[in-house]
Amino acid sequence: MSKRVQAEAVSAWFGDHQAVADVTLTIEPKQVTALIGPSGCGKSTFIRTLNRMHEAVVGARMSGRVLLDDDDVYAPGVDPTAVRRTIGMVFQRPNPFPTMSVAGNVASGLKFGDQRPARREMAGIVERALTQAGLWDEVKDRLDKPGASLSGGQQQRLCIARAIAVEPEVLLMDEPCSALDPVSTLVIEDLIAELKDRYTVVIVTHNMQQAARVSDVTAFFNLSGAGEPGRLVEVGRTAKIFTRPDDERTEAYVTGRFG
Amino acid sequence: MTETRKLFHEELDELHADVVRLGVMASEAIEAATGAFLDADLGAAERVVAHDAVLDDLTHSIEDRTYLLLARQQPMAGDLRTLVTVLRVIHELERVGDLMVNVAKATRRLYPQPLEPKVRGLIDRMREQAGVQVRLAVDTFADRDPERAAALSDMDDVMDDLQKDLFRVIFAAQATDDAAIQRAVQIALVGRYFERVADHAVNVAERVAYMVTGKFAPRRDVGPAL
Repeated sequence: MSKRVQAEAVSAWFGDHQAVADVTLTIEPKQVTALIGPSGCGKSTFIRTLNRMHEAVVGARMSGRVLLDDDDVYAPGVDPTAVRRTIGMVFQRPNPFPTMSVAGNVASGLKFGDQRPARREMAGIVERALTQAGLWDEVKDRLDKPGASLSGGQQQRLCIARAIAVEPEVLLMDEPCSALDPVSTLVIEDLIAELKDRYTVVIVTHNMQQAARVSDVTAFFNLSGAGEPGRLVEVGRTAKIFTRPDDERTEAYVTGRFG
Repeated sequence: MTETRKLFHEELDELHADVVRLGVMASEAIEAATGAFLDADLGAAERVVAHDAVLDDLTHSIEDRTYLLLARQQPMAGDLRTLVTVLRVIHELERVGDLMVNVAKATRRLYPQPLEPKVRGLIDRMREQAGVQVRLAVDTFADRDPERAAALSDMDDVMDDLQKDLFRVIFAAQATDDAAIQRAVQIALVGRYFERVADHAVNVAERVAYMVTGKFAPRRDVGPAL
């Protein structure tokens, strides 16, 4: 598990509007890459091109290449659903199936997949995923309770468990903590540090301190003006980006001189 | 793009200005302490000692506000380097003040014997050199100008040479009785204080170079120990 993602000259559009322009970025396995930048800089759109979720929007298209190790995820004949399972995603708001049980939520990706594991095997997968998501001890006695009965922070970890139950190579996280309280946020951040041992982790965050805390590599996206497409400005080790970035625009953003 | 975090950056600018103020006070202390020493003016020496409390208070105030900004604003990049540099630089400047207190106190220890002309001349030149270097260091910080930092590093030899000259004069006098030895030691220490002040000035400039560029200055020779 855990593969390298290479984006080559990726651009993305919604209809006539270009949201991302010419992003070339290598995301290394077994580390956390944070994407930061102001609203509208295309960072969320960009990660959605990585697992072919972008094209699910009506009128959306992209150009460029995305490689998962050596495999082109946009090659003819590749099933987008399979790509989304290999490159899993966790969203801003925890979105468990509200009436489905905790265990059912974790197993839902497996059920929708090609093969349905046997019941006993399923129980093992659910336990392993919940354990990896740091939630098992909290929910092991209420696996049959509805997903919506959990707290917000628990629901988000449930969504992470759901994403990792299908054993992806890459985990994309789009603002995974922005709807959570500070303590739940720190729990998720600790979890991210553990997940990177197994997965390639990409996190989009508005919270610069969060990027500084959890990531190994930081990529700064920016747009030159309203309506302009977002571009990658600078990518580097997180320690460097937050102490002495090379680009003046990165400096201005991380010191909060514009927003 | 709209400018944000305006208040934070105003507070940062205020801190920056206060460090410059501390630097100016330190360079004034050099003049006042050496003046008292050369003129054997005990009253002036006492005033230098008393005034050091003002430098200490300002140092503490800057340090307190720096911690607050670190805790509350979580500064990044250039702002982070500025705040850490402030913490380092105020320590250097505060030490300059302390060393000048030592010079002022030496006035008392040598009183009422006048200094011999050669010693006088050398100490006066050390005062001048220390003053030039500290003012240059403060300007370097004020203008965030790492170019001047390099100039300061080159200047350090001047002070080392003056110190050597001073030691030569002291040894040439060949003090034999206890009082003369005490006196020679006091004058040697005063020379040492000036040499330390010049070193602190170079340190300030090196910290400024780091603040501006994010890169540490290359290692330098620290000069003769004595």
